[in-house]
Amino acid sequence: MDHALILRSVTKRFGSFTAVDGLSLEVPVGCIYGFLGQNGAGKTTTIRMVMSIFHPDAGSISVLGHPDAQEVKDRLGYLPEEKGLYKKMKTAEIVAYFGRLKGMDGSTANHKARELLTRYGLGDWLDKKCEAMSKGMGQKVQVLGTIIHEPELVILDEPFSGLDPVNRDTMRDLILDMKRQGRTVIFSTHGMEHAEQLCDYVMMIHKAKLQFAGTLAQVKQGRDLGIQLDYDGDGTVLQRLPGALRVNDNGKHAEIYLQPGTDPQQALRWLVERVTVRRFDYREPSLHEVFVRTVEEANEQLAAAGLGR
Amino acid sequence: MASKTYLVAEREFLDNVRTKTFWLGILSFPLIIVLAIGVGWVMQSTKKLQQYAVLDFTPSRIGARIEPEARQRDLQRALEELLPKPAPAGAAGPGTAEPEAPTPPPAEPTLAQITANLDEVAKRLDAGNPLRDLITRLQKEPELLQQAARAAQSGKLHELPPALLATVTDWATSMSPEQQRNLRAFVSARRYHHVSLEELGVAGLQPAEQRRKLNEMVNSGRLFAYFVFDNDPLRFDETAGPADPRRPADFVYVSNSLTDEDLRDWYAGAATQVLRKLRIAKADIPPQRAAWIQAAVAFQEVQVDTTGETKAVDKTDKGNKLAPVAFVYLLWIAVFTAAQMLLTNTVEEKSNRIIEVLLSSVSPGELMAGKIWGIGATGLTIVGSWVVFGVLGVWVAPKLVPKFGEYNLLAIVGDPLYLASFVGYFLTGYLLFAAILVAIGSVCNSLKEAQNLLQPVFLLLMIPLLAMVPVVQEPNGLMARVFTYIPLYTPFAMMNRASGPPPAWEYALTTVIILGSVWFAFRAAGKVFRIGVLMTGNPPKLKEILGWLKEK
Repeated sequence: MDHALILRSVTKRFGSFTAVDGLSLEVPVGCIYGFLGQNGAGKTTTIRMVMSIFHPDAGSISVLGHPDAQEVKDRLGYLPEEKGLYKKMKTAEIVAYFGRLKGMDGSTANHKARELLTRYGLGDWLDKKCEAMSKGMGQKVQVLGTIIHEPELVILDEPFSGLDPVNRDTMRDLILDMKRQGRTVIFSTHGMEHAEQLCDYVMMIHKAKLQFAGTLAQVKQGRDLGIQLDYDGDGTVLQRLPGALRVNDNGKHAEIYLQPGTDPQQALRWLVERVTVRRFDYREPSLHEVFVRTVEEANEQLAAAGLGR
Repeated sequence: MASKTYLVAEREFLDNVRTKTFWLGILSFPLIIVLAIGVGWVMQSTKKLQQYAVLDFTPSRIGARIEPEARQRDLQRALEELLPKPAPAGAAGPGTAEPEAPTPPPAEPTLAQITANLDEVAKRLDAGNPLRDLITRLQKEPELLQQAARAAQSGKLHELPPALLATVTDWATSMSPEQQRNLRAFVSARRYHHVSLEELGVAGLQPAEQRRKLNEMVNSGRLFAYFVFDNDPLRFDETAGPADPRRPADFVYVSNSLTDEDLRDWYAGAATQVLRKLRIAKADIPPQRAAWIQAAVAFQEVQVDTTGETKAVDKTDKGNKLAPVAFVYLLWIAVFTAAQMLLTNTVEEKSNRIIEVLLSSVSPGELMAGKIWGIGATGLTIVGSWVVFGVLGVWVAPKLVPKFGEYNLLAIVGDPLYLASFVGYFLTGYLLFAAILVAIGSVCNSLKEAQNLLQPVFLLLMIPLLAMVPVVQEPNGLMARVFTYIPLYTPFAMMNRASGPPPAWEYALTTVIILGSVWFAFRAAGKVFRIGVLMTGNPPKLKEILGWLKEK
């Protein structure tokens, strides 16, 4: 088994609305795979189909080598986008409960739950009720509930949303730990920096259709190089840079894409005269840029198709 | 996988049962009943002593004769509690007796029977009950006892032999006020107090002045009421019939408490007795004939048993007929409580998004079944607790209030048919409504939305409550049958009819119907649940839901 997950032309419709349209995807075993896309693009629907909460209208899904995810449900872990816990249950109880639902026996689940919670800094909360916890802690508890049964494939829907930097690091470590243990991790995110730092592979859906999929290098290949600029000074002048195609100005940092044939050296000289340059990189585009450009291109295509009709 | 269903059910059950509020809720149920009874009793027994006066302007001084009569009636009631009731006249029955023929003398009870009966009564009385003292006194004088029994047998307790009356009066006056208060028969003694005119300081005044002063006392609260005898009630007016509206009132009752009529009724009852006796005497009618004229219609209740024979109705049978009403009411509360819990729980789980995590581990069908069984077990716990309370209650109640003993409640509550019906129909009724409510819960995002959708279901549930009394009066009547075959009401209707009881084939048929309905409801609810539970946004329209039902 080389692939933890294979989707073939998977389509899901809700009434007249097509949520996922002919999606094909392969997720190799032991990788971290990022699902990207705007809100409502179809990421969650795809994940739900993988978890066999929804059934595709067309196409096939193979999870851990099985055509039906129901058969391997106990070998999957799933953290949904909307996180919730039973308020009245104690932390260790609820983690153990999730484990038992995945087929662990009672005492093993209890033992494992307490061990996991202690290991990830919640040792003081073992016998406290979930309602007393902060959002970040609750999310941690839920992730632990997702992985307590040591699943081979873990799917996390927006695991980083709403977490502070410290908890984000904990979450990142958790994901990396799982990869080290040979598990496959799929997560969806809006944070491009997380995808860029963590993922071996990424894919992007826009309006139900797959836009790209592959390793980060593959995804960025063929895209225009761009200037990564850290600067101090008045950023409005950046917009007047001769030969600039697009400027993403963040105030202290800017991404600048040049028209084909423009010399970056010249751009640097022009910039040095106008702002204080602290760092100048001419390199492959960021995932953020790829994402935004892909959305724009896809929308243009759709608009063109709409006009042509 | 059944085990996952079990895990879900176990969690739901423990989640409810572990909370203190759950047990407080269960405990509060009998507590509320006890409180309701207790408050009523306390209110009754703390009612203020009602003082009254009598203004008597009749030449025959009729007012003075009513008072002792009223008190004697109280004594009679005390005796009635002790002595055997008039035995039914047997197969001949009163209806067949010739109106002019004297009633055949009822079989005279032997002294042994009476003594045994008294012993039986004495056993039921508390040690401090003053009636025990009366029993001891009577048992010392078998002659009197026989007389008393004879009087009771012929229903002539109002004509107690003087010697007996003397004994009873002697006993009554020897009682301490405390004891009097403890005796139910002397309820009037502690409630109504006659105040003489001398005490009030109006004796010897002009009638108009007397009235004015008494009116003031009524207004100030010194007196609860006073009675005025203006016309001589013993004067016979040939021109006016007794029903004539022009007939002058026999007495006037003056009071400002228009709603509390207990004193008036108690006094009027005694007055009627006295007037009747005096009028009969005045009209020169022999007392025996007068008694015969006045005798109320006596009837005997019999029922036909399964063999076609008639048998006397005992009170257990009556309790038996009414028992299903109580059971249906409890059934209703139990079904509704449990189904409501399920709804709240489903909506909460949906609104705090935990449902999706669960669905990654269990199928929607398993989840739904787990929830329904888990809450069902919770409901059974409630029902079970009630049964325990109920059995305890009917075991304790006769010890506190002897009258309950006559109904043999323990036999009713412990009746296997009732108990089995109760548990069985709780389960089926719950499952049916649970399926509906879990489907409703699954499509709602908030409790408020769910409450709106719940309204029609609640109205549907009300109907069997409204139909309860007609059905129990006619357990095998048309209405009962119609309700029996509407699946939503089958459990309630069959519980209601349990006193009938319906024939075995109806039990069989309804069991098939209700199990079929439960199966169907579960399938339909499963389809709605599977889709609805992950929906957010506006609740779906009925048309959409019907569309889901068609999906496979």
